[in-house]
Amino acid sequence: MSDSAMIELREIRKRFGSLQVLDGVTMSIASGQVSVLLGPSGSGKSTILRTINGLESFDSGEIRLGDVVLEGNPSKSREAALTAIRRRVGMVFQQFHLFPHRSVLENVIEGPIYVLGQDRALVTSRAVELLRRVGMLEKADSRPASLSGGQQQRVAIARALAMQPDVILFDEPTSALDPEMTAEVTSVMIDLAKSGQTMVVVTHDMSFARSVASQLFVLDRGTIVESGKPDDLFADPKHETTRKLLMNR
Amino acid sequence: MQRKLFRLIFIYFVVSCSISIGWAQSDGSLERVRQRGKLVWGADEEGGGPYVYPQTDNPSNLVGFEVDIAAQLAKKLGVQSQFTQGQWDKLPDLLNRGDIDIVLNGYEWTENRKQRFGLSIPYYIYELQLLGKRGSTPNESWDAFLRSAQPQKPRVGVLGGSAADDFLRTRYAQQIDIVQFEGASEAMRAVELGIDGVNGNLQDLPVWTFYQSGFPGLEPVGPPVGRGYYIIMTRKEDAELLRALNQAILEMLHDGSMRSILEKYGLWNTTQAQRGLEVDSSGSFANGLFNAAETTNPVLASNSFEALRGWAVVRQRAGLLVQAAGVTVLLAVIAMPLAILAGMLLSIGRLFGWRWLQFLIRTYIEVIRGTPLVLQLYVIFFLLPELGLSIHAFWAGVLGLAMNYSAYEAEIYRAGIQAIPKGQWEAATALGMSPFLALQRVIMPQATRIVIPPVTNDFIALFKDTAVCSVITVVELSKEYSIHARSTGAIVELGIVTAVLYLLMSYPLSRLAGYLERHMSRETQS
Repeated sequence: MSDSAMIELREIRKRFGSLQVLDGVTMSIASGQVSVLLGPSGSGKSTILRTINGLESFDSGEIRLGDVVLEGNPSKSREAALTAIRRRVGMVFQQFHLFPHRSVLENVIEGPIYVLGQDRALVTSRAVELLRRVGMLEKADSRPASLSGGQQQRVAIARALAMQPDVILFDEPTSALDPEMTAEVTSVMIDLAKSGQTMVVVTHDMSFARSVASQLFVLDRGTIVESGKPDDLFADPKHETTRKLLMNR
Repeated sequence: MQRKLFRLIFIYFVVSCSISIGWAQSDGSLERVRQRGKLVWGADEEGGGPYVYPQTDNPSNLVGFEVDIAAQLAKKLGVQSQFTQGQWDKLPDLLNRGDIDIVLNGYEWTENRKQRFGLSIPYYIYELQLLGKRGSTPNESWDAFLRSAQPQKPRVGVLGGSAADDFLRTRYAQQIDIVQFEGASEAMRAVELGIDGVNGNLQDLPVWTFYQSGFPGLEPVGPPVGRGYYIIMTRKEDAELLRALNQAILEMLHDGSMRSILEKYGLWNTTQAQRGLEVDSSGSFANGLFNAAETTNPVLASNSFEALRGWAVVRQRAGLLVQAAGVTVLLAVIAMPLAILAGMLLSIGRLFGWRWLQFLIRTYIEVIRGTPLVLQLYVIFFLLPELGLSIHAFWAGVLGLAMNYSAYEAEIYRAGIQAIPKGQWEAATALGMSPFLALQRVIMPQATRIVIPPVTNDFIALFKDTAVCSVITVVELSKEYSIHARSTGAIVELGIVTAVLYLLMSYPLSRLAGYLERHMSRETQS
């Protein structure tokens, strides 16, 4: 495994009924960088993202996060690996999935206190900082239901950050937002990227892919058809799928 | 001996002459029966033996000493007898409505009934017999029985609202704890098994005689006590019919047919032989002229039916109803939280537990939901003692209610949990929460908010279901109501009070539910 690779996926395969959802995906996620997964619907990009933190299972292959190895077969070692992985990998969802019965601040401190067992005062002050950073401190005592989509997503990002993860996975973070809110969230993500946070992002936002990503992966029908630096792919797409994807923007 | 016999025969002649000579008023009642060719008599099969009951090996055939008496009486009137089924305490209503000619079903002579109906001379003189557990309680006499339970009061079961009930209430209220049952055999079984500390049962002697062989664990305590008269009831205006019936009864007493019927059911005893028969001018049996070989047995006071009406009754009984409402509240308020907690655990087990646990829970839910609460209460109250666990009636009620409702709450919670979007699980999991932590911190708090409306609904229903506990002797509001309504006749007045009490209990719950719902949704909408 190369020094700067934080996550390595090797020959991940997943079958669902008669459909081969993932057909031998191999990729390396570089540390400190933004990796973006692109592809048409049903290409498996969300699925591969979710295999990393175990929200999706896989049949064969292996995932490595540092020295933790995650296998496909259900076993005690897989459970142990997942527990370790989830403490170091955060996730932001397309539908935000904030806890509606808790306030904004409570959402952010929930994980560090109850999962990591950290001190409440410490966690709270850190949470306040995070909310300030994403621009949501004013709403610290509000309930998610009173927030707009963009505001909720920013809180969701703060919630993930509160766990101090090595990597944050983003599953189409702005797909459910209108352009204005998309911009809000995107600016937070850019800010994060600049600070050196390792990010893996599944998105349809081509301008983000072009300007923020350090690495692009194009998926189609369960495999990576092309990958490389954004400038290269945008200038000279080699695969049919890539061309269709990037040229339409 | 000869002198006594002579006296009896003399009395008989006097009486039968006065009956037949008497008031030749004709009201047409007898004529109507003759024309119809049928004497329609009303009784309740549910009362069981030896009165009127389905024959054991041929259940579509009705037998019982009253069946036979009715047949004989009809024959003497020159017609056929025709049976009509009615609920025991509603038979007088049927009589007034004209559906039946006579009520012939273990109805006792009371002063009050005499005011409202025509009462025949007795066809049977019954007594009450105290029953105790064979071999355990000293059963030589009432005194020994009462003493044996000291320093506590002995607990004696009776049929709720019966003459035995009143007998104990008027005479032994201080010395005996009265336990009310809905059926004769349940009361007797309770003594046999020592359920709920019941050590005695005051039963009508005919019933004891009839059921004796089925309850080998019981034996009589002392001699029979009290005395009452089973009479036939007719409408007040049917005096002619009444006279004809009295005549017929007399004839049966003297041609031996009454005796052979009673002997057939083991009901003939010396008490029946001591008969003096007096009627007053209307042809009704005038209780009080009885003499013959008097024992020291007191005549049963006619307290069992005093028709008080109007709001005076309410003033008199309302306090007792409120007290009984307290029992209702206690039952509900203890049982429901248990049911909710159990339901929550069951739903979690059913959704997330091991395969075998899921199967067990599903079975439990199906069985409990699919069988009536009353049956479940019976099982708890009567079955557990056989396994060595004797449980106080109140707690059996709580347990039964909690178990029954837990099955429903389990399904409600399951729906609540499944209504939580999958994304909540994913977000919790992504944060690193174990399934248990996710349930505790994220899922169950949200599910609980969802299930508040249906659960409060069930809570309100539970308040009413506490009424079922009366079948295992718990006297709660409904039972208390029916006892007083039956004994005073103030069905409507007391019914209104009872309904109001139930409403008073349920309404705060609705308000609480509304408050909780608003409070919870305020939380999610800031």
